[in-house]
Amino acid sequence: MLNITKTMDGSKAVYNLEGRLDTITAPDLEKSLGDELGGVKELVLDMEKLEYISSAGLRVLLSTQKVMAKQGEMKLIHVNDVVMEIFEVTGFTDILTIE
Amino acid sequence: MTEMNNEVTIALKGRIDSNNAAKVEEEIRTQLEGKNGASVCLNAADLQYISSAGLRVILRLKKNYPDLRISEVCSEVYEILDMTGFTEMMTVEKAYRVVSVEGCEEIGRGANGTIYRIDQDNVVKVYNNADALDDIRHERETAKLALILGIPTAISYDIVRVNDSYGSVFELLNASSFSKIISTQPEKLDWCIKEYVRMLKKIHSTEVPAGKLPDMKETVLSWAQFMKDWLPEEAGNKLVKLVEDVPHNDHMIHGDYHTKNLELQNDEVLLIDMDTLAVGDPIFELASMYNAFVGFSELDHSIIKEFQGFDWDTAQKFWHGALAEYLGTENKRKIKEVEDKARIIGYTRLIRRSIRRGGMDNEKERQKIEHWKKELLELLETTEKLTFHPNELELEADADNLEEVQAFVGEHLDAADCPPRARMQIDVAVEEIFINIVSYAYSPEKGNAVVRVEVSEDPVNVIITFLDHGIPYDPLKRDDPDVTLAADERPVGGLGIFIAKTVMDDVTYEYKDGQNILELKKNLK
Repeated sequence: MLNITKTMDGSKAVYNLEGRLDTITAPDLEKSLGDELGGVKELVLDMEKLEYISSAGLRVLLSTQKVMAKQGEMKLIHVNDVVMEIFEVTGFTDILTIE
Repeated sequence: MTEMNNEVTIALKGRIDSNNAAKVEEEIRTQLEGKNGASVCLNAADLQYISSAGLRVILRLKKNYPDLRISEVCSEVYEILDMTGFTEMMTVEKAYRVVSVEGCEEIGRGANGTIYRIDQDNVVKVYNNADALDDIRHERETAKLALILGIPTAISYDIVRVNDSYGSVFELLNASSFSKIISTQPEKLDWCIKEYVRMLKKIHSTEVPAGKLPDMKETVLSWAQFMKDWLPEEAGNKLVKLVEDVPHNDHMIHGDYHTKNLELQNDEVLLIDMDTLAVGDPIFELASMYNAFVGFSELDHSIIKEFQGFDWDTAQKFWHGALAEYLGTENKRKIKEVEDKARIIGYTRLIRRSIRRGGMDNEKERQKIEHWKKELLELLETTEKLTFHPNELELEADADNLEEVQAFVGEHLDAADCPPRARMQIDVAVEEIFINIVSYAYSPEKGNAVVRVEVSEDPVNVIITFLDHGIPYDPLKRDDPDVTLAADERPVGGLGIFIAKTVMDDVTYEYKDGQNILELKKNLK
């Protein structure tokens, strides 16, 4: 289960992610982002309530990062320890902006 | 004097002491004339006293008739024989006290008898078979064996006469059967399930020295062979083969493990009705449990109430709850898999039992037999083995089953008190490996995968094994991704197996017996 709540503020988009970002839910996030990213200059993914991430979730984050690098910036906030560990072992801490 | 089956019985009456010993000896010798080699039994039902002169008569008699036994000895005479060591030299059987069970509460009923409470502290099991002395001795032996092997049970301390049958007397202080607790205190159902399964696991983990108990496999095999006459040839052969393929198992099974045979005495749980004790695979036990809670009353739900005192819905709740607790999973697929195996043996037994009781001559019974047969034939078609592994789940390699696989693994991790961080790491690794199988093993066809979870103690290691019959493929051979590349240089994907390798302590692959076998290992400390 993944709950996605988005808030748009001009060219800034904030996504609150709650639950699990895995093989089953990653396509939902991908679709949600794909529909909305046009014109967005600042993308914030709030992961306070994200409990779990697997490679399927990482794939969405990486492809989104690639899109956003061309049109603005993307940052992740409130990442918890277990998710951060996955970012660390995969080198994602070096390629994503994590606050 | 009476003679039966080459045994000569001589009745002794009144007192035997130095006044009449010589005369008694003379009389016995006369009666035994020409009976060299016979077995001799001295019936002491009417013997009130025996002195040392009388004992010497018996000793001399024993020299000529080594099989000599003394039966129906009253307690006064028994005490003399016991003190003088005669009870160790020869078979001395006590006289049986007569007990009435009229108006007594029935507290249990098993295959071979009915148990009544005769007073606050004692119960008597009255055997159906009038000539039950051998059954009683057998049950006493098995109960003793179970007790020695660590199973809490009651051992009978006396054999009594009840009407025309025999009974064995047990001490059972203020005890209630689990059936009674469930019927009268429904809020204790979950507690009963836990205790019932705790005892079941204890029984099944008890190793029995070879030859001490009958092998249940032999019994079930004889049922299967009986069924060959009543099933289509192919199905009959398959049934026999399924039973034959069950490996020998020298762990204990109770054989009639339902809630009337479990007693709560003060705070102690006791197992009773030990005459069906055997060794064998747990599936044989589950089959008899299935019949007790489901099979016998499947077509007439009122039967369960009559037998156990609680209703059909409660019985179903209890049975499924107990099976889930026993298997350590709430996974419906797993529970059904094991239940279906139990049903194969359960129906085999029900059909055989009904046919042997003349069921084919009775329209109502014939309908039941037809129903059971139909179910049995359906189950036989989809079953390849009767044994099961509680910690193994087989399902289609489909992404939709990911959650089920993770939940199944998670239950076993929780049972092992896995710390949250390791649980999350294992969770991710399980997803990566399972999804890898989903994507590559059978694509574009469909196929099954098996996931097995093992937790070892000291050191606490969890090993998760994935097996599939797909195309041979070693995912570990792939080069690790370069995790130092910048975002725009990194390919999207290729991280799954790498994550699994990184978060687990050891990941190995082999291809064996036509299967991809991928093993994940993690130390939980």
